[in-house]
Amino acid sequence: MRLLVNGEEREVDVEDDMPLLWVLRDELGLKGTKYGCGIAQCGACTVHMDGVAVRSCQVAAASAAGADVVTIEGLGSPDALHAVQEAWVEHQVAQCGYCQSGQIMQAASLLETNPEPTDDDIDIVMGGNLCRCGTYPRIRAAVKTAATKLQEA
Amino acid sequence: MKWFVAGLVASSFAITAFAEGENVTINPPADGSVSREDGLAAWQRIYEVTSHPRCSNCHVGADNIPMWSGPSYGKARPHGMNVNAGESRIGAEYVQCATCHAYREGSNDRPHAAPQVAMNWQLAPVEAAWFGKSTVEICNQLRDPDRNGGRDFQEIASHLDHDLILHWAWNPGGGREPAPYSLQEHVDDVLAWGVAGYPCANDE
Repeated sequence: MRLLVNGEEREVDVEDDMPLLWVLRDELGLKGTKYGCGIAQCGACTVHMDGVAVRSCQVAAASAAGADVVTIEGLGSPDALHAVQEAWVEHQVAQCGYCQSGQIMQAASLLETNPEPTDDDIDIVMGGNLCRCGTYPRIRAAVKTAATKLQEA
Repeated sequence: MKWFVAGLVASSFAITAFAEGENVTINPPADGSVSREDGLAAWQRIYEVTSHPRCSNCHVGADNIPMWSGPSYGKARPHGMNVNAGESRIGAEYVQCATCHAYREGSNDRPHAAPQVAMNWQLAPVEAAWFGKSTVEICNQLRDPDRNGGRDFQEIASHLDHDLILHWAWNPGGGREPAPYSLQEHVDDVLAWGVAGYPCANDE
């Protein structure tokens, strides 16, 4: 089946019900998206499908065919970071870093929907992305900084 | 009783329009063949379904927060992860329900995973809030076109036939307790209740 991932058409030979996460990591070598729980309880595998955050462990490959899939590798580049990635660096959000690609993808999706999120908005939207290091205060601060950056851009 | 009149008016054409169910048989009893007593008995079984966690957890009020309750969950509590489905009732303002409750054809066999069906996951409309409500309250809601999506009993049966998210209640997988009876039995009860004139226990 053909998938559009980070702007590139990719051909993969997989079962229809293979989780998108498996396709991304094992078939396409995009290891930035992390496996956390496999049952949509942690948010580590968050990517965008047609601009909306989804848990890639829950999306069947066949459902992703025809959609515009963006992973952390496609959100920004080292030379041109996405505003959320810039804010993540500025606030030194990551501790162990395992959850951060999912956090960043969820935060980027949030700011597409809600350019000026309140603390409550952030807590609701980011509530499905767990961070076992407990970096939540820095996540909230970075989301606000990213929101300001995007407003000023 | 506008719901009763509406039901009678609609039934004459709706029997033809909705007789061919795709997933269940929609075959209402003949007009006048169901007593009020039998209609109330049918309603009590309907209430067992509507108040069951597989249904009521997503038939919640204006706070737009689905519930986690029932034998699979122990103590009743709001949906984890700080979930709020917003006024859109699909999570468009925050995290879409479909972020985790993705489109899926087939069964939900993984315990603790987000239930999925072959349509968009969503809360029921706020006017159909059932969670924690009594049999009389839900009965009056379900026979009121202003609070049931403008449906008569045959259109409720058709809704049960076509909306796949409702079918999940009887096939929830993952160790979850299904709604009582079967989808066909539930549809038959709705039809019997409607033919009986939508009786509720508070009627005089």
